[in-house]
Amino acid sequence: MTDNTITASTGQLAAAPVQARTAPDRVLQAVYYATFLIITVLVAIPILALVYGSFQTAAPGAGGTFTLANYANLTSSGVVSSMLTTLWIGLLASVLCIIIGTTIALIVHRTDFKYGRLITALVGLSFYFPSFILAMAWIIIGAPGGVINAVLRDLLGITAVQSDIYTAGGIVFVMVLHQVPFVYLTMRGPILGMDGIYEEAARTAGAKPMAVLMRVTLPLLGYSLLSSFILTFIITIEQFAIPALIGIPGHVTMLATQLYLLVRFTPADYGLAAAIGIMLSVITGIAIWAQRRVTKTGRLTTVTGKAGRATPIPLGKWKWAAYFVTFGFVILGLLLPMVILIYTSLLKWFTANPMNGMYTMRNYQFIWESSSTLTSFWNTLIVSGVGALFGVLLGLFASYFTLRLKPTGYRLLDFVVTLPFGVPGVVMGLGLLWAYANLTIVPLYGTLTVIILAFVTRFLPYATETIGGQMVQIDKSLEEAAWVGGATRLKAVRKILLPIVTPSVQGAYFLLFMAFFREISSAILLYTAATSVVSISIWSFFEQANWGLASSLSVVATLIIFIAMSLILWLMPAARKA
Amino acid sequence: MSISVQNLVKKYGSLTVVHGVSFDVAKGEFLSLLGPSGCGKTTSLRCIAGLEESNGGVIKIEDQIVSAPEQGIMTPPHERQIGMVFQSYAIWPHMTVGQNVGFPLSIRKLPKAQVEKEVDEALEIVGLRPLKDRHPSQLSGGQQQRVALARAIVGKPKVLLFDEPLSNLDAKLRESTRSEIRRLQRELDVAAVYVTHDQEEALSMSDRVIVMNQGHIMQEGTPKDLYRKPANRFVGDFVGRASFIDVTRNGESWATQDGTPLKVAGAKMAEATGGRHQAMLRPEAVELVEGGATPLANGEEINLVPGTIGESHYLGAYTEYLVKAAGASIKVHSLADLAPGSPVTLRFNRLDTRLVAVPE
Repeated sequence: MTDNTITASTGQLAAAPVQARTAPDRVLQAVYYATFLIITVLVAIPILALVYGSFQTAAPGAGGTFTLANYANLTSSGVVSSMLTTLWIGLLASVLCIIIGTTIALIVHRTDFKYGRLITALVGLSFYFPSFILAMAWIIIGAPGGVINAVLRDLLGITAVQSDIYTAGGIVFVMVLHQVPFVYLTMRGPILGMDGIYEEAARTAGAKPMAVLMRVTLPLLGYSLLSSFILTFIITIEQFAIPALIGIPGHVTMLATQLYLLVRFTPADYGLAAAIGIMLSVITGIAIWAQRRVTKTGRLTTVTGKAGRATPIPLGKWKWAAYFVTFGFVILGLLLPMVILIYTSLLKWFTANPMNGMYTMRNYQFIWESSSTLTSFWNTLIVSGVGALFGVLLGLFASYFTLRLKPTGYRLLDFVVTLPFGVPGVVMGLGLLWAYANLTIVPLYGTLTVIILAFVTRFLPYATETIGGQMVQIDKSLEEAAWVGGATRLKAVRKILLPIVTPSVQGAYFLLFMAFFREISSAILLYTAATSVVSISIWSFFEQANWGLASSLSVVATLIIFIAMSLILWLMPAARKA
Repeated sequence: MSISVQNLVKKYGSLTVVHGVSFDVAKGEFLSLLGPSGCGKTTSLRCIAGLEESNGGVIKIEDQIVSAPEQGIMTPPHERQIGMVFQSYAIWPHMTVGQNVGFPLSIRKLPKAQVEKEVDEALEIVGLRPLKDRHPSQLSGGQQQRVALARAIVGKPKVLLFDEPLSNLDAKLRESTRSEIRRLQRELDVAAVYVTHDQEEALSMSDRVIVMNQGHIMQEGTPKDLYRKPANRFVGDFVGRASFIDVTRNGESWATQDGTPLKVAGAKMAEATGGRHQAMLRPEAVELVEGGATPLANGEEINLVPGTIGESHYLGAYTEYLVKAAGASIKVHSLADLAPGSPVTLRFNRLDTRLVAVPE
């Protein structure tokens, strides 16, 4: 500014056209500031509120004072034991998931297994099968009063062996069923992308198929396996619905459920809950950092990208083992739970014996007749429809600024956007509870808006990953060519970049829609009777032991999710690989 | 015979990529499969290795049938005792140089001490002994190449297979590696099959070359035979540089389209193939004479064809001229400096005027 006078004489000629070119870019500048501000506020408020709450003596809005007692209480035997439970359940479930998921991926993509397409499709479906619905179905099957025991007792006359899913083993079992598709989907890419030549070289060097697998294929996948393992571990310890539905009746407490119990049941301790939330976030944060390190250093030359013609390994006599693993998983993780839910939804009173059942459509009729259920559907559509739009726009802008324009401060934006990855859903809910129960000036507490805010913040990284993933693949020169051709930055974005990324934006929209539709953990602490969403309604019916209604709603919700999923696949063929 | 391939057929679905190819490779012989991409040479090699299952024919290694789909025989690659060098080397990134080279031995459960000893020997041969504990990412392309070579020879294979191993190296390194591969193969005294699309590589390294096109063998012979006596236009054109003049039979002799008589060699072989015919000329066999023709002595086995200079490419050691003559554009290498449009006479020996068939 100070040397304006000096350069004025020389700058005058050039100034006019330059002015004309930068003017529309001001719009971009304004959008950047707005995006930065909104995202920072969205992410910072729950986190800061949580930190604040963890130092408070009383519930939000109850006028507490500063204390360190909440952190001291983290060392109490109750918290320590649920922390240990969380860790060992998380580790065990993740190890099992990695073994089963990778085995399925190897069977489907590296052997002459015949039903690969079918298994891929079904495992893909089960990936989108909501965890709380899966847990409910398995409770109906495996609870003391459930299907297995009825079959054992009434059909086989066995009373010595009893199934009880309300145990740590039950939690691990359902978590594995829920997380295996994630491992399959993360390992599928590296397995398909691995250059077949490494295996061929081993075969010509004299290695038998099993030796090729053990000495070349798996070691080459090592970093991908480790990365997938850490991600699975994060998702497992963040899980809320499965440990809550199965663990609370069985008195198996994980950190996420302990936080929930501390808020929802007397004696409530919001401060300790916040401190637990901070601790859980720190653990996931460390794990995410480790995973990023692994993927960065692990980018060896292992996967060349140009997948060679990898010859399928003949299964031979292992064919039946392959059928057992793949179809076994699909049956336990998807088909059996679906069948049980449909069956339960058609019964007037639950019975394990289909011959004794009194069948009715009453549970489906009720969805239309009950105003509260209709309201929750309506709320869900608003939250998912509008919220996903909001989330996708933020994600699109954030990706554009962090990957393309890179204005001052873009690194900070990039960091802030990824923060929600490290905040478990129930912790996010607690943070927002602390924030808006305290900030009475902003009348958001108990509104649908606060639920939308929770969902958008929690799933913002999904949007940026999906859109950004496609955006980085678009060569910068495409935009530069438009600039050279006379387009302003804004015009280049509109005419070149946007049309190219449209499929991923649409895909991200339905991904968010689906995620919002089945989200429960961040809403469980925020909902009121007027702002209940479908997932919460299902949860409540189930807690009231109304298995029939919970099942009919679950069937309808699952159908809607599967429809949204097929829209994603239809819009983004690339999503299948991602 | 170390390798014997009889009537090899390979199909991908309804597409046949190798049509009944047969050849033998003797112990210690170096055979190249030469041809453009998609000619079936790599597929044939992969069938010998067992990486590709053939659909017909018999492959024998050391008189043992390893592949005979009609009889239901298909020996997996790890039982074929072969050494193979891949185009992109396929050095396993998670193993050190020593582990890579030792793999064929350790996978056969040889004692550790013996593995170490033989790895050291193999690395010594390719001159990489000091790099034994390095990781592949720390190696240059040429060094990775040598690791691949050491790994291929360490197990004392019965046959060595090469799939365009030099195509990722720069020109200088390629030349020195050529002679090294040849030296190694001679020392080991094993049969080698070498796949390449580079005719210079095939000519300079091989005892025998098979030229392939579209899944068929076009010609099989020593490098000199292929260059001097190509069986058809495809071989003449693919191996070395050549110009072609359309010719027709005129009684006992042959003449160009404008009636100029040409004395040619190899008429018997070409006529047996049928189709149209062309006279093939190598650029280095044609002499460029400025101005009009000088008369010939009777009975001289020389052709004289008038023409004019067209394009020219200065290449340092010589200039390549494209001379318009006899209805064709003829490549000539000359040290003289000539302007475009200058009248010249082309002078070449009958024995260098090779008649080739152009199958229709």
